[in-house]
Amino acid sequence: MDENKVDLFLMTKGKYFRSEHLMQIRDRLRRREDSDMGLLHALQLHDPTLLLIVSILVGHFGIDRFMIGDTGLGVLKLITCGGLGIWTVVDWFLIMGLTRDKNMERLQTFIY
Amino acid sequence: MGRLSDRNRFYGLIIALCAAGYIWLFLGMQADGFSPEGRQELPGVCIFKHATTIPCPSCGSTRSVLHILHGDFRGGLYWNPLGFILLVGLIIAPVWIAHDLLRRKNSLHISFRRMEIWLRKWWVALPAIVLVLANWVWNLVKGY
Repeated sequence: MDENKVDLFLMTKGKYFRSEHLMQIRDRLRRREDSDMGLLHALQLHDPTLLLIVSILVGHFGIDRFMIGDTGLGVLKLITCGGLGIWTVVDWFLIMGLTRDKNMERLQTFIY
Repeated sequence: MGRLSDRNRFYGLIIALCAAGYIWLFLGMQADGFSPEGRQELPGVCIFKHATTIPCPSCGSTRSVLHILHGDFRGGLYWNPLGFILLVGLIIAPVWIAHDLLRRKNSLHISFRRMEIWLRKWWVALPAIVLVLANWVWNLVKGY
């Protein structure tokens, strides 16, 4: 993949991943064909900042967990009143990292 | 290795949830001489209700479980039907985890993953969402 396209992708989507993964993503993407760019943009990646806002506003209902694909944990969070409120608060601090991990999992299916 | 740590993290979360649930139930029973209304004496833990004064879909679960424990199933159903699910979970989850840890299995985690896949099917998800919303509306009507 063209270096400029990879850099542009990392400039726009870099905050969607953990900083320690960026070099690895860059290397892997550069080995891909240019035609794969469309597939890369079709990947459903979540914005960690958006998830933080969702977590603060409606995380109590497990919506943040549903959004990142943890359906079962979302249901648990919903029926336990946000884990008696404790889980809700803990997730405010964890959700951005979890979102980046889920984004990396999705990207791994593409780059490996 | 990744799957094992995934399992351990999941079991840790369930153990923490059960411990918090049992402590909360114990406090609820102690607050008013082990009566179902003891919950009234405790400060609410619902962040949503504190922030908006609107009850959440699982508000009333503690009272529901306390009523069920006192044999008042009708009262349990009235306060919140989710109380039945939570009580069954509180009883089964620790036993299941103990069984898995002793036998070095991860059957609870596997069953949870299967349930997760099942829940994503629209014909399961849609009725579940409708039920949760209906329960929430009922909570709003009851007006905690």
